Amino acid sequence: MAAKPGSAKPKASGSKDSNKSKPISSASKVSKKGGKRPPPQEVKAKARTESTLLKKTKKREYTEAELDLPKLNAITPVGVVKPKGKKKGKVFVDDDEGMATILAMVNAEKEGQIESKLQRARQLEEIREAKKKETEARQAKKKNKLEEAKDSIRQKRKRKGDSSQDKADTAAAKPNESSAKSKGKRKSVSFA
Amino acid sequence: MRQLTEQETKTLFEKLANYTGRSLNNLITTSEDPNDRYVFRLHGNRVYYMRMSLANLSTAIPRTNLLSLGTCIGKFTKSGQFRMHITALDVIAPHARYKVWIKPNGEMPFMYGGNIVRAHLQKFSEDLPEHAGVVVLNSNDTPLGFGISARSSQEARKLDPTAVIVFRQGDIGEYLREEDTLFTT
Repeated sequence: MAAKPGSAKPKASGSKDSNKSKPISSASKVSKKGGKRPPPQEVKAKARTESTLLKKTKKREYTEAELDLPKLNAITPVGVVKPKGKKKGKVFVDDDEGMATILAMVNAEKEGQIESKLQRARQLEEIREAKKKETEARQAKKKNKLEEAKDSIRQKRKRKGDSSQDKADTAAAKPNESSAKSKGKRKSVSFA
Repeated sequence: MRQLTEQETKTLFEKLANYTGRSLNNLITTSEDPNDRYVFRLHGNRVYYMRMSLANLSTAIPRTNLLSLGTCIGKFTKSGQFRMHITALDVIAPHARYKVWIKPNGEMPFMYGGNIVRAHLQKFSEDLPEHAGVVVLNSNDTPLGFGISARSSQEARKLDPTAVIVFRQGDIGEYLREEDTLFTT
């Protein structure tokens, strides 16, 4: 039931609208009457290419120092300083004197190097010689010591021989040795 | 073709001074004609040594058509170092600071690109330091190449026969071995 009146209302309103439309048309007439005013002019947004817009307003230009850029971001690397007002390109050396000066410099440098090399070689050679002498002396000393030891042993043996018996005894010692040998032989055949 | 810059001249002279003594001065001063002196010129990356008059004449030839002129001394590497060619031997040999003479049986091994061993050594200059540039000659005093000393002369005397005395840098065998690349740019 409630829906019906609702549905009926729009229809009624629709009829009302048709009635109202007339006054609107009359209103438009009114506006036409007021046409004495200057016709509305279209206001266009200014194109971007407009000369007035294209004119750059002067902005503040920052120097590189002011920007506080990190060093690597700068256009010229650190250390490369382009000298201003200097001619670009290579500097050739073609005059006699220029070449001679460079040559003299190079020669002096090379000779210094060679001299130092020779000096170092001589020093090393001296050290080597000294070491060689030292080792030789040490070896001779060792040899001497050994000889002394040998001599002392020999002398001891001699002294032993002297103290126990005379030369005759030493002579008798030989037969002893031979007897020892014979003993050895005897040992070898002992099982027989 | 152009003149050498200061840096290039220095690099070149440093290399040449490895092998030559004070008489290197004669390279740029000797000339019969006072108006005509010897100069170095760079073409591509190669350095040529020639008379000034010849260098001036060469300006008439387009750069692309010019293959070589004068004596090729060597070439600049891409890293800016200078590498001497065997063709420079005739220039440096008369001014050599240190010389090494080799026995006839050592000539062939050297000219095939080998280093010089103690057994092939005939004699060498006195006071030869280590790592110095030497010019290698045969027993008839004909220059065969150049190299770098591996040992000083004092040490070399005590070494065994197979020990290397001179490291080869260039030898005249390259004229055959490097025939294809020696004169091309």
